Amino acid sequence: MNYEQAELLDRLAAEYTLGTLRGRARRRFERLCVTSAAARSAVYRWEDHWSALSRTVRPVEPSPQVWAAVSRRLFGDDVGAGAAPPRVRRWRAWQLAAAAGLVAVALIVGLIVRQVAPPPLQTLAVLGTDAAHPVWRLERRPPLTALTIEVVGTVPEAAGKSYELWALPPGGAPVSLGLLPGSGRAERALSEPQRLALLAADKVAVSVEPAGGSPTGSPTGPIVIVTPVPAAG
Amino acid sequence: MSRNEPDGAELEALLARCAAGDRAALETLYARVAPILLAVLMRILRRRDVAEDALQDVFVSVWQRARQFDPIRGRALAWLVSMARYRAIDLQRATRPAVPMSEVSALEPQLQSEGPDENSDVLGSGALLWRCLEQIAAPQRRCLMLAYEEGLTHSEIARAVNEPLGTVKSWVRRSLIALRRCLES
Repeated sequence: MNYEQAELLDRLAAEYTLGTLRGRARRRFERLCVTSAAARSAVYRWEDHWSALSRTVRPVEPSPQVWAAVSRRLFGDDVGAGAAPPRVRRWRAWQLAAAAGLVAVALIVGLIVRQVAPPPLQTLAVLGTDAAHPVWRLERRPPLTALTIEVVGTVPEAAGKSYELWALPPGGAPVSLGLLPGSGRAERALSEPQRLALLAADKVAVSVEPAGGSPTGSPTGPIVIVTPVPAAG
Repeated sequence: MSRNEPDGAELEALLARCAAGDRAALETLYARVAPILLAVLMRILRRRDVAEDALQDVFVSVWQRARQFDPIRGRALAWLVSMARYRAIDLQRATRPAVPMSEVSALEPQLQSEGPDENSDVLGSGALLWRCLEQIAAPQRRCLMLAYEEGLTHSEIARAVNEPLGTVKSWVRRSLIALRRCLES
């Protein structure tokens, strides 16, 4: 990068952090920051400089509803619930009963099978280029710890590229949910950050990435599908 | 340092714990910085209800993006305040781009495949910024403050200071260049 480009980059970073870079130019600079370490460095430098100005603000105490809403959006309503769910308690009771030999083995087996049979899969989203051409179906089993992804249509040809699935939390950065299969059906365990992102997300998206997925952790290729998802939980 | 400055090392530790999935850390972080962020948001968004909704979004993002915070690159409070300000700016009515698109486009091809920038130094002294701002003439400095603190666009600043838009744009541009020179000296 030559001197003039460095100057321009610094000026854009200054106007971005100051807030006077607006509209499409602002979005475009944000995308540049995803791929350019120099752009990010310039932004971090200016952010650090400007933050001196925030030290003079008089803090305002937020209403209690704000934290309650954050906690609900990120962790669901069951935060802090102490008691084990009823099904788990019943299951432990049956274990005890079995140990004591009070119930016939066959009966216990029958009950266990019924008790621990996984809840049915729920369709989370059908991803397609349009309603008439579904390509992937996303399903989940509550509680949300894994996704099942099934190819239900024709995956568009993309030589040397991968399709990557993203959770789009409102106001947050996209979080990768992994690559989409080219055929068949895949069960994908979700990490805690992925699970939380999907719980908070109101949309999921598919981007075209280099084979193996985005090298940066954010979408780098064109976004080909964006689909709303119902509130997960 | 003023009364508002939470302990930077503590904020960094809390962000690291958030990145590891520690919910209690997010709650502590909220207690430390939410009142500052709400004040920043209210200056820009003007309405408390809108600012509180934005504050919610900011903390959801903080949790989701805590792993992206890199203490070597910037300080925790600057990162948090920036997230709040950018959210507020995004919530304001979309306005015309203030910088011609061609300037952003011109940079993209050169910047696609760079490695980490080893030269990034992290200054961070607030006193330095103030010293440098003092060297800028008062009307120009006011434009910068209106942009940063109130989230005004170039056109809104022009109306606020009763100067032509072109004048304000060049004031901002030149002030930023002067500021950068001073900050780096």
